[in-house]
Amino acid sequence: MGAQLPEAEAGGAAATLAVAPTVAEPSARRGWTRNLDVIIPGALIGLLLFLCFVWPLFGTVPPPTGGNILDANIPSFSPGHPLGTDQVGNDLWSRLLYGGRNSLEIAFAVNVIGLVVGGLLGAFAAFWGSFTDTVIMRVLDVLIAFPSLVLALAIAQSLGPSKLHTIYALSFFSVPAFARLARAQTLRLRERPFMLAARLAGTRAPRILLRHITPNIMPALVTFGLLGIGVTIILEGALSFLGLGIPPPQPSWGNMIFDGQAVLSAEPKLVLLPSAFLFVTVLAFNLLGDALRARGNAS
Amino acid sequence: MTDQAVRPGPALALRSPALRLIGNRLATAVPVLWGVTFLTFAVIQLLPGDAAQQLLGINATQEQLREFRDKLNLDDSFLVRYFHWLGDVLTGNLGNSLASDQPVTSIISDGLPTTLELLLYALVISLALTVPIALLAARNPGGFVDRVGMVTSMAGLSVANYVLAVVLVYVFAVKLGWLPAIYTNNTGTLGELVKSLTLPALSIGFPLFCFYTRLLRADVLEQMQGEDYVVTAKAKGVGPWRVLVRHALPNSLFGLLTIVALNLGTLIGATVIIEQIFAVPGIGHSLLEAINNRDVPVVEGIVLVLAVIVVVANLLADVLYAVLDPRIRYGRSAS
Repeated sequence: MGAQLPEAEAGGAAATLAVAPTVAEPSARRGWTRNLDVIIPGALIGLLLFLCFVWPLFGTVPPPTGGNILDANIPSFSPGHPLGTDQVGNDLWSRLLYGGRNSLEIAFAVNVIGLVVGGLLGAFAAFWGSFTDTVIMRVLDVLIAFPSLVLALAIAQSLGPSKLHTIYALSFFSVPAFARLARAQTLRLRERPFMLAARLAGTRAPRILLRHITPNIMPALVTFGLLGIGVTIILEGALSFLGLGIPPPQPSWGNMIFDGQAVLSAEPKLVLLPSAFLFVTVLAFNLLGDALRARGNAS
Repeated sequence: MTDQAVRPGPALALRSPALRLIGNRLATAVPVLWGVTFLTFAVIQLLPGDAAQQLLGINATQEQLREFRDKLNLDDSFLVRYFHWLGDVLTGNLGNSLASDQPVTSIISDGLPTTLELLLYALVISLALTVPIALLAARNPGGFVDRVGMVTSMAGLSVANYVLAVVLVYVFAVKLGWLPAIYTNNTGTLGELVKSLTLPALSIGFPLFCFYTRLLRADVLEQMQGEDYVVTAKAKGVGPWRVLVRHALPNSLFGLLTIVALNLGTLIGATVIIEQIFAVPGIGHSLLEAINNRDVPVVEGIVLVLAVIVVVANLLADVLYAVLDPRIRYGRSAS
């Protein structure tokens, strides 16, 4: 009945998660240029990871917080502050990098939790079938029926804003989404001869799950996870934007955009730069996920 | 005889596959709705430590705390409180706001129309753009419209709605001054309403348009390439546009309809943040205000209403799908 939307998000971006049939278009390119659709976003992600996680370790990046108010609103290209400072005197470049670190860490954590917990739940439900399946999927239906951001807001508010709590709140959406996908993938495998052979050989269920099902459903789950990272970054930004994600003064692209909004007409860069980082990061993950998905469908 | 077999008389209506499907969906919607009420209650009641202490602050006297706990029955066990609340909900009583003492139902009925107007506007914008562009793209896959459309939609899917909103405000309100940066509806005329909802609706509608266009294009292409009825129509000599618009599009639209309904939960999440940015006095705005005031009954009421809207919309989409699609209506399975 149509493609089920496994996960919801703040900006219509989770949208990419719907498993849309991709029409394979024969590529005229030969050699390594055929892989450009993977190489370009992959390199972009690599660059972002390097900038956010490695560069601050030995580059000359000032701390993202604790700036002096006397240094407020320094223009771009000033010595020591390549992009200038924000309205309380923190270095913008540093906040962009550390903010990205927060966003990426949360996004990876949420999707790894989703992949492991959701993947196991879904595979388990499909493998056992009948009553277990019904119970697990009904519970997940409830979570999927919920307006995602609304539930995340309620959870984040109840727990209080912090990085860990943001991860908990967002995992409520990644887990059911991965579970649905894992279940659909496992159902396809169930009647395959190698599964029958494994069962006839007397292999125990945990071993079948780990050694026969997991390797077969993993590619689809990982591809889905790449698209999920884009969605999670946007959702995390939304929570931080509303003051329920990364607590200020710690930076996050979401709360930087929110803070910059107040001085939008005077200092547009405070909004536009984190927006651009957010956009490029999400785009890179979406492009990579999409390219890998197209390959999965073609093979 | 054969005629009778295909069209069952009224006596057999209840055995019709469409009705059975509707019954099935209703039967599964009830536990989901119940789960939604339970989760709503649990999230807000279980997680914080002492609601009374949090709401009244650390300076509250023992007397005030006790009074407050009595008022909300906080000393009862969780399940007792849940069934108490559920009983109230079933009789249409969502309680009163802790902040303003206003009934929660009236807060919801004040904000809901504006939110629905915004959602409708966003959906109209996105669907009005989606259908022609997806068709143009599908008419000539790999052509100019297709390429530009696919690049735009990939970009649109990667932009967060709050980022889009802030950029739109910067361009159309701050730089050009064409549209208001925040919701202003003093006179209550339709023109003013449309004007102040345009930027919020665009912020929600553009990413939606990108999402729908990709789906519709892929679906129409699939129909055009793989379906027998398309081959038949082409063989009859039906022109390419007519095959696309009259044969493939209606089939693909059913799928899109389901996605629109399934996507509604996401959309409602989007309105919460967009209403906040543009100060639209909708239900999302009330929800955030209540969350910040820790106004438990209002949060529960609004979350419940939103969740119920999503569940009912999904149910309606399923039912509509069954009613519109003859393959399901006549009991053959639709893949």
